[in-house]
Amino acid sequence: MINTTVVELSRWQFASTALYHFLFVPLTLGLTVFLAALETVYVVTGKPIYREMTQFWGKLLLINFALGVATGLTMEFEFGTNWSFYSGFVGDIFGAPLAIEGLMAFFMESTMIGLMIFGWDKLSRGQHLIVTYLVALGSNLSALWILVANGFMQDPQGAVFNPVTMRMELDSFSALIFSHDAQAKFVHTSIAGYVTAAIFVAGVSAFYLLKKRHLEIAKRSFRMATIFGVLSTIGVITLGDALGFIGAHAQPAKIAAMEAMWETETTPAPFNLAAWPNQDKQQNAWALQIPYLLTPLLTHTMDTKIPGIAEIEAENTVRIKNGIPAVEALKLLSANPNNAAAMAQFKAHEKDLGYGFLVERYAPDQDVSRATEADIAKAAKDTIPDVFAIYWVFRIMVGFAFLMLAFFVFGVIYSLRNEVEKHPVFLRFALGMIPVPFLACEMGWITAELGRQPWTVYNLLPTWMSASSHSVSYMVFSLIGFVSLYSIFILIEMFLMVRAIKQGPDAPHGADTGGLRHEPLLGGSVLSGGHAPVHAKAYLNEKSANEV
Amino acid sequence: MKVLGYFLLFFVLAMILIVLAIILGDAAPWYFAWIIGTGLLILTSAAAGFMFDTQEEKAKGTPQ
Repeated sequence: MINTTVVELSRWQFASTALYHFLFVPLTLGLTVFLAALETVYVVTGKPIYREMTQFWGKLLLINFALGVATGLTMEFEFGTNWSFYSGFVGDIFGAPLAIEGLMAFFMESTMIGLMIFGWDKLSRGQHLIVTYLVALGSNLSALWILVANGFMQDPQGAVFNPVTMRMELDSFSALIFSHDAQAKFVHTSIAGYVTAAIFVAGVSAFYLLKKRHLEIAKRSFRMATIFGVLSTIGVITLGDALGFIGAHAQPAKIAAMEAMWETETTPAPFNLAAWPNQDKQQNAWALQIPYLLTPLLTHTMDTKIPGIAEIEAENTVRIKNGIPAVEALKLLSANPNNAAAMAQFKAHEKDLGYGFLVERYAPDQDVSRATEADIAKAAKDTIPDVFAIYWVFRIMVGFAFLMLAFFVFGVIYSLRNEVEKHPVFLRFALGMIPVPFLACEMGWITAELGRQPWTVYNLLPTWMSASSHSVSYMVFSLIGFVSLYSIFILIEMFLMVRAIKQGPDAPHGADTGGLRHEPLLGGSVLSGGHAPVHAKAYLNEKSANEV
Repeated sequence: MKVLGYFLLFFVLAMILIVLAIILGDAAPWYFAWIIGTGLLILTSAAAGFMFDTQEEKAKGTPQ
């Protein structure tokens, strides 16, 4: 018998470890790409200040990366320890992307980041630039594979259920990695990382501008970060729209919850700008609506029907009833895989197998053949995720996205006019913006994962069946342990970051290079080597000594 | 000779991108958009750095 408390605790544990981990990931994804841009300028112009900038932001990246790896490691194992049925059920499909993700993160990315940090005086400028690009590529590719795995959970493509082995089996690797959900989610997440890095760099640069320290580095970083950020924010909003469009087809219950849409409206449906959803009464206590907006927003048409929660629940009731014979047939097949009648029954109801599993939770002795109408109604209610939480978490994320866009637009204007230092209020605002993208990323993750409930694999495997059979005390103990440990990690990260930021670049570049440049790469030796000029260090040290 | 080398390098890169566009265009348009978009983001941000230096040098009256 499944202990629902253990299932809930397993969910809490995975959610908390994932949310902690996801505080580190976006900054790594974005900062690596930003470093590639910085070093490109250094290599092309030969100006030492860009090398100094690359090294400084690279130091902050290293702090973040180390703690990101530490928090990510445990999650890979959590699938096996806390979600053993899930791991067995979809291991054939889920295992491959997860393994590649591990290889990308822990071999390619870690190796390249080591070369990037310690290779400044060992590699030629061209070689070092390639390494920096590979760090950016490696970090984003490791995100790609975990999001391919997550895309399968959201919209299972490229796999079939084998009733003899009782497991999902990989049918098409290309369908798995090219699923629309995986594609859009990867690009959305990756670019959200770029936005995070841009806000982080702009915020820290604003701190220096306010303190009138490292002005040359701060002004250049601010300029590049705001341009990087404004384009990224446009991209992340565009991909958010794409994810909504894909979700409208693949996960109607999640979309209905995100929009607090209880009834199917006549097209074009109104958009609930703000509402107070009440799940028990299945209605909004109040709603501020914009007429005709939701349908074109979600479907990019004016007349495509968007099913409301009541309609989805009614459809799912039918699917649950249709799934019951599939589960019954499966039990017969587990006793005798050669039972032809059971196989025929299974094939006839196969597409609703997951819905049959849903009612198993409420059926007497988990025997679906004894499930009552009341049990089926409870299971149908379960197919609707937590509307209030999803609706508001989603809106907070979208609100943050537009706030960041507005911030970057102002930042670009002030920076292009070279007057950002004249706006201390804006600089303080920039500093205050630093937590916003992190919170937006967390909100996005909660929307995606909470909206997938009650499934671990959408329409196939319910969450309540997926967990391991640990004891409650084990789960409570390990949950407290993880939360405590990861909270310490966050404190360590913040301490190290603040210390490194206060310390500033190693050679504080308060003045410009006075026209002194290293040989530009494209004017000199791009591929033929030419080690990073050693005299740069002496020059910078000399300049630093002359500066206050 | 060096110019020819660069030409060949960038020409090959352009060819790879065209082949990628054809292969990924149908099956994976968002992945392709990410590759192109990230490349453009890097170059645009780099251009912002170049522009800053140009403005600074102009303001100081130093040769560019």
